[in-house]
Amino acid sequence: MSQKIHIRTASASNRIKPLPTTQKCYKIFTPGEVVINASNTNFVRGHGTYEEDGDLKASVAGVKEQVNKLISIRPLKSRYNGQVGEVLVGRIIEVQQKRWKVDTNARLDSILQLSSVNLPGGELRRRSVEDQHMMRQYLQEGDLISAEVQSVFSDGSLSLHTRSLRYGKLGQGILIKVFPSLVKKSKIHFHNLPFGVSLILGNNGYIWISPPIDNKDENVGGFIQNLDEVIPKDIREAMARTRNCILALAENKMMLFDTSIVFAYEESLKYSVAELLLPEAMIDVALLTQHRIHMLEDYEFQ
Amino acid sequence: MSLCDAEKTFILHGVKENFRVDGRDREGYRPIELETNIVQHAFGSARLRLANTDVLVAVKLEIDVPFPERPFEGKLEFFVDCSANATPDFEGRGGETLAAELANILTSAYRSPQTFNLKKLCILKGRKCWKICVDILILECGGNLFDAVSLAVKAALHNSQIPLIKSINIDGDNIELNVSDSVFDCEKLDVANAPVMVTVCKIGDQCIVDPSLAEEQCSVGSVVVAISQEYFSTVTSIGKGSLHPRTMCNSLELGQKVGIRLNKAFMETLHNIQPDEDVGFLK
Amino acid sequence: MPIDHKRINGPEESVPYELFARLSGITSEKTFEETQSANIRTDGRKFDEQRKIFLKNGVVSQAKGSAYMEMGQTKVMVSVFDPREIPNRSDYSLKGEIYCEFKFAPFSCPKRRLHQQDNEEKQYSSIMKKALESTVCLHELPNFQVDIYALVLHNDGSALSAAINAAGVALAEAGVPIYDIVASVTVGVQQGINFLDPTLSEEQMCQTQLTTEKFPNPNHAVVIISKLPMQQQLCQFHQTGYMSLDQLKSALELLTKTCETIVPLVQKCLLSLVTNSIKP
Repeated sequence: MSQKIHIRTASASNRIKPLPTTQKCYKIFTPGEVVINASNTNFVRGHGTYEEDGDLKASVAGVKEQVNKLISIRPLKSRYNGQVGEVLVGRIIEVQQKRWKVDTNARLDSILQLSSVNLPGGELRRRSVEDQHMMRQYLQEGDLISAEVQSVFSDGSLSLHTRSLRYGKLGQGILIKVFPSLVKKSKIHFHNLPFGVSLILGNNGYIWISPPIDNKDENVGGFIQNLDEVIPKDIREAMARTRNCILALAENKMMLFDTSIVFAYEESLKYSVAELLLPEAMIDVALLTQHRIHMLEDYEFQ
Repeated sequence: MSLCDAEKTFILHGVKENFRVDGRDREGYRPIELETNIVQHAFGSARLRLANTDVLVAVKLEIDVPFPERPFEGKLEFFVDCSANATPDFEGRGGETLAAELANILTSAYRSPQTFNLKKLCILKGRKCWKICVDILILECGGNLFDAVSLAVKAALHNSQIPLIKSINIDGDNIELNVSDSVFDCEKLDVANAPVMVTVCKIGDQCIVDPSLAEEQCSVGSVVVAISQEYFSTVTSIGKGSLHPRTMCNSLELGQKVGIRLNKAFMETLHNIQPDEDVGFLK
Repeated sequence: MPIDHKRINGPEESVPYELFARLSGITSEKTFEETQSANIRTDGRKFDEQRKIFLKNGVVSQAKGSAYMEMGQTKVMVSVFDPREIPNRSDYSLKGEIYCEFKFAPFSCPKRRLHQQDNEEKQYSSIMKKALESTVCLHELPNFQVDIYALVLHNDGSALSAAINAAGVALAEAGVPIYDIVASVTVGVQQGINFLDPTLSEEQMCQTQLTTEKFPNPNHAVVIISKLPMQQQLCQFHQTGYMSLDQLKSALELLTKTCETIVPLVQKCLLSLVTNSIKP
């Protein structure tokens, strides 16, 4: 029996409403609004702001963030602002001399130098001319990689490296793109979820879902893709469910981290995977997840 | 957007197992959202959203002279505008080929009198007829445009009302038409047989319907099938790539099966729409 | 429609005088009834019989490749020019492109055609492009565009098929790498009868619905396919009208079979091109 075709009308009853806000309320600045008065000179101008007549004004709509004296306004939707040490998922868009250009959802294309990858064979050596010619064999246009930000250039573009066995070319799996601000920053970005899915939450809003990685054979970090491997149905189902759950959370502007995704997955089990594409189901899952996260927070507080 | 081989392999295996990346089976559609009567100045309008594809269709009526070859028939014309709002690729003349392709397929699908009876649009034989101009605006483009456009056109035509003409005075070459004074004296168009299009996409050895953008990239060939009741009103192959005759037969069968189902579900929704629901995205 | 002001245009709309005659007599219903009762078509063919084909290449001396094809009264000329770099494109593309222009000569149909391409011609151009895109080895022509121009001198039905067949020959003569010979056939369907290789009047008859009281079978359509015979691949498929699945399948079978009969003709034509040029 094939799945039902859902066609609904856009009447008020089933139009998506935003989730009720949490207790914490933030002041949201709109562009042009004064963030800091001219009288207070003790600040440093950050992203999303500009100075006029001594006042600091917002240039985007968002919430204020303050690190010591640095004041910036963070919008909901933005390109990714990279910081050293963050984990990214990116797609190769160009192979150049000695380096690859990578799309990482940042303002400028990021760069992966040939000298900042672990070449097959493992040993550390100078990159030869042969290596330059082999570049397309390692990574070609369209390939996905996981990497870490090595440094930020003066123009804001990122330099990446994959010099760890965790990083490298990605194999079979699903890529989802969400707003970078929805990915919660944490120490760990590689997760093996209990239901047989491994997950890379890229700080740049690119999320990679793949079948579980067994850490027995340390083949990761290389340039090998196994195209013959057929992923079993149950894992495939778990991956698809995870994908739909993450999209449901992102659609309702909820933060993405391992706990929220696991909760959403558990709450979604009453629906079939395809049903999770329905807006009603998406809201329901997001609501239940929000509820559970609150309960968890309250519990921790006590 | 281009996918790497591993992602394509994943999609391919998924199609083979009848479990696609988003959990649908091969014949599954993504949820569709529809609203009608949203453009005040049009005689009928509809907006349809299928995942990320968003289409707005408005119907305008004009009085025209019938073609001399077909004096008993009115006219039905399709205009497609691929707005640069949808993707920057459509900027300038970028969307023209796609727009022409869409308009051609629609014209071809509505050509047979079985699908849409143009004779009803004739006012005075050989002299006056209604001309229906269907303007299609692509607001957002997220794959599977053909299906979305055909459904939106059907809904807009269903929503359209043709003013009743009370009397005709003929004085030599002058023809005077008296349109009914009451705004509510209108006739609805019959769209029961209007075709719905199904894009059948071949991935690996199997065929799927309603491909997402990623799936469209993995496809080796696609066929657009326009189904009116259980009959084919237009079949055309699109995109690059060729198909084996046997695959073609399979695609036709799948297209017909899904087309009938889709049409049934869609007609149900159309009949359930209450008039004057004062909500919607453009209001 | 935009008008080309550089040339002296004929009248924008013209009405062929035959229309006034036809109103008083011959209708599609009548033609069909006669054909059906005689069990033979108006030009003396059986229903699944093709018209005689004449094929000649090298008709345009300045083009890289060209071909002329006659199918009964239908006459089509196709020329292919040297591949050139894709104009107005900045980025490099690994695959080549095909540009097709299909045009009816102004005098080729009962009704006068304008010099500008109308919608039907544009649609035929895109169908033709679709057929040839899968035929040409585009990966061997990176960043190049192949221009193909088809001109119909006389339209007596199946003009698009004739143009695609001729384009295959012209491409082969031009030395553009192609996977296979391309063969294209049209069929018209009315009341469950397949009219292979229809004439213009048959094509028109198959596009309309006959009066339902007399002819309850709603099937009527025109189907065009193009096939790569050695590869067993359909490189293009187009149907318009109203037909059931079974009817469509039977038409498809007939068409795929008929495509094979065109291949020897094309091969002979290409062979004679080579043998003639070798002769001192």
